[in-house]
Amino acid sequence: MKLSSPPRSTVAALCATIVVTLTTLAACAPADTSTAPAASSASFTPAPQDESAKITVWADSTRLPAVQAYQKSHPDAKLDIVTYDGSADGSTYLQTKIQLFDRTGSGWPDVVFAAPTDVTWASAPTGPSAQAFAAPLNQGLVPQSTLDNFAKGSLTPCEFGGGTYCLRNDIAQVVTWYNKKLMDSFGYTVPTTWEQYQALGAKVAKEHPGYLLGAVGDTNSQESYFWSSQCPAFNLTSPDTLRTDLQDPHCTRMATLLDSMVANGSVSKDAFFGQSFAQQHGSKVLMAVGPSWYGQYLFNSAFKTPAGQIAAAAPLTWDGDPTVATGNVGGGIWMVSSHSKNLKSATDLVSWLTTSNENQASAPTYPAYTPAATAWLANPVNSKYFANDVSSAFQAAANAVWPGWSNTRFSDATAWSSVVLPALTAGKTLTATLPAWQTAIENEAKAAGYTVTTK
Amino acid sequence: MTTVDNTRPAPRASRWISLAVTAVLLVGLLVFFVLPVIWLLLAPTKTAADLVNTGPLSFGSLHNVGRAWHNLTSFQDGILFVWLKNSAIYSVGSLVLTLATSVPAGYALALTKFRGRRLLLTVTLLVMIMPSAALVLPLFLELNRFGLIGTAWSIILPFSFFPFGVYLVYIYYATSLPTEMLEAARIDGAGEWRTFVSIALPLAKPVIALVAFFSFVGNWNNFFLPYLVLPSTKQFPIQVGLNQLLSSTPSFNPVAGAGLNITSPELALSIIIAILPVLVVFLFSQRALVSGMLAGATKG
Amino acid sequence: MTEVGLRGSFSAPVAGVARRRSRRRAGSAGYFFVAGYAILLVAFGIVPTLYAFYLAFTNEKGQFTGLNQFVKVVQDYRFAPAFLHVGVYLVLWLAILMVLTVTVAIILRGRLRPGLSAALRFLYYIPGALAGVASVLVWLFMLDPSVSPAAGLLRLFGFESFAQVLGPANLPVIFVLIAFWTGAGGWIVVMYGALNNIPDDVLEAARIDGAGAWKTARYIQIPMIGKWIAYMAILAFAGGTQLFIEPQMLQTASLGRLDPAWSPNQLAYVLAFRYGDFNGAAAVSLILLVLGLICAGLLVRRSGLFKVDSE
Repeated sequence: MKLSSPPRSTVAALCATIVVTLTTLAACAPADTSTAPAASSASFTPAPQDESAKITVWADSTRLPAVQAYQKSHPDAKLDIVTYDGSADGSTYLQTKIQLFDRTGSGWPDVVFAAPTDVTWASAPTGPSAQAFAAPLNQGLVPQSTLDNFAKGSLTPCEFGGGTYCLRNDIAQVVTWYNKKLMDSFGYTVPTTWEQYQALGAKVAKEHPGYLLGAVGDTNSQESYFWSSQCPAFNLTSPDTLRTDLQDPHCTRMATLLDSMVANGSVSKDAFFGQSFAQQHGSKVLMAVGPSWYGQYLFNSAFKTPAGQIAAAAPLTWDGDPTVATGNVGGGIWMVSSHSKNLKSATDLVSWLTTSNENQASAPTYPAYTPAATAWLANPVNSKYFANDVSSAFQAAANAVWPGWSNTRFSDATAWSSVVLPALTAGKTLTATLPAWQTAIENEAKAAGYTVTTK
Repeated sequence: MTTVDNTRPAPRASRWISLAVTAVLLVGLLVFFVLPVIWLLLAPTKTAADLVNTGPLSFGSLHNVGRAWHNLTSFQDGILFVWLKNSAIYSVGSLVLTLATSVPAGYALALTKFRGRRLLLTVTLLVMIMPSAALVLPLFLELNRFGLIGTAWSIILPFSFFPFGVYLVYIYYATSLPTEMLEAARIDGAGEWRTFVSIALPLAKPVIALVAFFSFVGNWNNFFLPYLVLPSTKQFPIQVGLNQLLSSTPSFNPVAGAGLNITSPELALSIIIAILPVLVVFLFSQRALVSGMLAGATKG
Repeated sequence: MTEVGLRGSFSAPVAGVARRRSRRRAGSAGYFFVAGYAILLVAFGIVPTLYAFYLAFTNEKGQFTGLNQFVKVVQDYRFAPAFLHVGVYLVLWLAILMVLTVTVAIILRGRLRPGLSAALRFLYYIPGALAGVASVLVWLFMLDPSVSPAAGLLRLFGFESFAQVLGPANLPVIFVLIAFWTGAGGWIVVMYGALNNIPDDVLEAARIDGAGAWKTARYIQIPMIGKWIAYMAILAFAGGTQLFIEPQMLQTASLGRLDPAWSPNQLAYVLAFRYGDFNGAAAVSLILLVLGLICAGLLVRRSGLFKVDSE
């Protein structure tokens, strides 16, 4: 079958159509109707309430036992528990499902465990005719006195436009970890400033090459180091304006410091949580600048360092700078749905999960609610592994998390992992990679609807 | 009958070379395909530390397998079996519907005339090539419109749409069915349906087996549709369940796993469990799949 | 349409020679046969595709936007790199897939004992049973020089760590490897079946004429399975442009070392599920669709895939 060439008249008609179409297309509606979803004002219309209605709870596998414990200790609470990935590893499952539910007008869960990044989209409507998924808890649902008892800054990721849209489950304040046994045997004193840390690195490189004071190859190492240094990489100056300036002295000082330590081998380019790190270097980690959960999950579980060796010290400061600032690596949040038909039950559950000693004293990670954190620290299970009393370090750090590293609509790990880490692997220095990192952050921010500035 | 060879017989050296090349190719591919699977099979016999510390192809101990099995089956109270059951329901259910719709359709496209035949072929091809990212939202809205969200039908019905299978049947009937038999039936006055059922269908056993196989495997392994459409963990098929396990593994999610005990060997074991049905099906359909796709009727 | 009645005088010729008689009976039986499939096609193929077209030309308020969605996605900073990545991948993927699957299928069909052939087909297929999460875990270990059975091979290429293996220049090759590992087995099965379809007497005739294995393959077998090869090429091309699972999974497994929008299809997913921009996602998908259609159109014409008789 051959295609015969179409007759002239058809060609002419086709051309005419194309011309007309193109001219019409010039006057079409814009592709994006709004540049970015503005955070809604902190009020919402609750659905008709029914205090005996069943609530659907979405939790991840780690938090599932806690929710089940609530069910057990509150037999009259009606829960339908669903497990999902908890937004781990940058999964956008929750965001996807909520958007689909918004389109169909039903199906939302009542209580959700998620990551702080999720609050950035959940606090605003996902579409022109939708209502923001997360309910502002400070509007009569949770008493202000309770909210005030959360660690300083721990609720900042939840706060948008005057509303507090989530309760923080746990915080992961960055402390200075060290192996007391090794440090004592080598005769080193634990550094209290970054300058001392750098000097120790030079010493270790000379005297005990192969021993490590840190690692930068993890997907969130930038939160341990650059956040602690108060680097304005993700600094929201207004809800829709992101300031990112990696040439700021706070950033360059950390980049220079790390470059020197990577160069002399005292800081590893590999990831602490890489497949073979534990086997190859686990027993040679003298120090680590990392979150509070490193104690159990890095040193105990991954490296299998024996008990009584690992200790924690307060975050490092800079010579001549009195501010104590540290970073934060993780921490989950609980949200209550604004569409919930049983806000009382939902809020009850979320409050119990985050603030009750009953739950939090035996939680896997350090609670954000200060009284619960005290109970957590008093629980021997959480402290018997360590060589010293970690309470003072943990508590000092908990109140020192720098608020200038904002919770944004995109993960702060993407640019680091996909641009900086490959550059480091290829042999470039952090200082040389700062411009590329900045460009990557700017691109992501613009794509997410932020206006980007360096001031 | 003696043959008169007009060409020289292949020189012995080049014969050996071609044999060697063939052997290297086949063996090389064998290693490529099978070595990772062997690793997978050996993984549950080791602990997570062993996987890193000892040789990749070393055998651990059966005790580790028992422990991995125990950890896996106690994860969320044995939800692994619920997931497997769901996978079976979705795959078998859609298999039946797929065969019922695809085989007659392929036959009709190849061997009957009707208006829109070519259009149907084109549209099918077009839809097969359409990237799925754009189809997810409309699919979800559609399923919701018909109130299917949360039911097994929300998975079975979309799975039953199998254009790949229709094309397989179409190509098969178009290229290999001897028309003599169809002619005979038609001349005898048989209606189209009878022709199909009594002649074309039995002759198409190999391609039906092929379609059934690919349908089953494709649906068993399908991740994205169930991931997005199903509201509850208890309705997940095994593939989505594996993803859940993955996000509960410390290697991928360091803080996860307080007491969950899901590590790489458990993951490996879960994968083996998940693919076993597919492999068993493949084993049993080997004969049907590839022996004698030739109808046999054109010989001689 | 009249049917030619004389049957006996025509012996069964080699397929491909024009037949005078029509294979088809006209009538409405065809509609009945395709009814079930057609319903599913409309419900799960046509309607969503049309909706996707609608999305690509409107914005989230439903206003008509003309080509603005396409302009927007083309200007996205990830668009050009994504298509570059996939372009490199496609060249490698098509070459390796087509050459190797056809070659292996021919070898399995021709030169081996049936038992060995069946065993090899089964073994080559096994990875095809692993999809998504399963293949990720396996390749996570296979690509890490510190734990992989192929560590020696990796070190030979100069890779000392997993991070080095995932260097940006290596990614297309890695994805071809993974895609081939999971996909080739199935296509070998299909090609083998297609080869089986060739009447034995044709091959016998060729052998009698003195054609060696190579000549038989080149002049008889491959042309006769031309339609199957075209089908595979269409799907491989379309599948290649729509590369998604492998980079997505590797991105998760490597904890973010890859750009989340490495391939265009990933970009579509990011637009849809990270930004809620279903319109942009539809626009990217349509661009991919057009690419796939161009290839399909060319191949359908060249191979006569839609031609089943010489009407």
